[in-house]
Amino acid sequence: MASLQLCLRPFPGQRRPIFGSRLRPVRCADDRQALFSRIAPAYDNLNDLLSLGQHRIWKRMAVSWSGAKEGDNVLDLCCGSGDLAFLLSEKVGPNGKVIGLDFSKEQLLIASSRQDLRSKACYKNIKWVEGDALYLPFSDSYFDAITIGYGLRNVVDIRKAIEEMFRVLKPGSKVSALDFNKSTHPFSALTQEWMIDNIVVPVATGYGLAKEYEYLKSSIAKFLTGKELEKLALEVGFSDARHYEIGGGLMGNLVAYTIDAIHA
Amino acid sequence: MVRVNRMLLRDGGVGICKTLSEILVCPLSKQPLRVCEKSNSLISDAISVSYSIVDGIPCLVPNDGKIIEADDTLKPDGAIDSLDRKREGQGDSP
Repeated sequence: MASLQLCLRPFPGQRRPIFGSRLRPVRCADDRQALFSRIAPAYDNLNDLLSLGQHRIWKRMAVSWSGAKEGDNVLDLCCGSGDLAFLLSEKVGPNGKVIGLDFSKEQLLIASSRQDLRSKACYKNIKWVEGDALYLPFSDSYFDAITIGYGLRNVVDIRKAIEEMFRVLKPGSKVSALDFNKSTHPFSALTQEWMIDNIVVPVATGYGLAKEYEYLKSSIAKFLTGKELEKLALEVGFSDARHYEIGGGLMGNLVAYTIDAIHA
Repeated sequence: MVRVNRMLLRDGGVGICKTLSEILVCPLSKQPLRVCEKSNSLISDAISVSYSIVDGIPCLVPNDGKIIEADDTLKPDGAIDSLDRKREGQGDSP
């Protein structure tokens, strides 16, 4: 019970430490949750505008890499407004199930509204859950595939998030994590930085979200490189992990999978 | 009768579908959850915490869980009696 109290909110109006010496990670998580809730109304439009629609291609690639197929139970973490969840829904069909999990209620409400507006019967197989990627509300070895799009970079503990994904994934299944690429090539890194400073932030300013999108640069700087992500996935217990650079090196997709030792 | 009630509750933005209720576990204890229709929440009996359901979306962020005090009337068919009393009982975290 004591450890649970550490996890729960302080009294209303009382901003006191929840995790004791781990105060900073909790406050960061709250700040990020608030950020994604603020950008929710403009998120989809900005994704299209800033990537010139290419994010749709990258997301299709992420879904392909996940190996999701007809009848599967799949999870889309940090689902936001649901782009990947809808693509997964088409893959798994009416006999499959998609869970979209996010910690922003505002993003989930937009995802749910988009679901109501879409007429394809398979979209009824998507269920939305408000949750924390570091504390997944699912049993061990449940999902046939997991995707996470532009979410891994935003969690406060990347290792824990990967550990949770490993826990809830069935043996013989894959995680596909799409995100910005933290490039080790100076030219790619400089190009990425230039684009954020001179295209992303000015466009976001037009939506009143300059500060929120300035966060992008620091979050990429703090993110792990492809090699580091591969290494971390292997340390957590995945049998193999490959990081693919796409979008001219601006984006990257980590594919990690477990071996089904019993049926191999 | 139960099935009809569940459908009515879902259409009214209350409760969650059976599929979801069978999949979800407590994010902290990883133990099964129980649907409490009176309080429109999911109950983790393992650690005596309730998680709310809003507009059909279960809120399973650990920070948003509410401790159920031992003297709250939260038996399987009960409702949470006092959400504020449990907060008063919380001391400073160690």
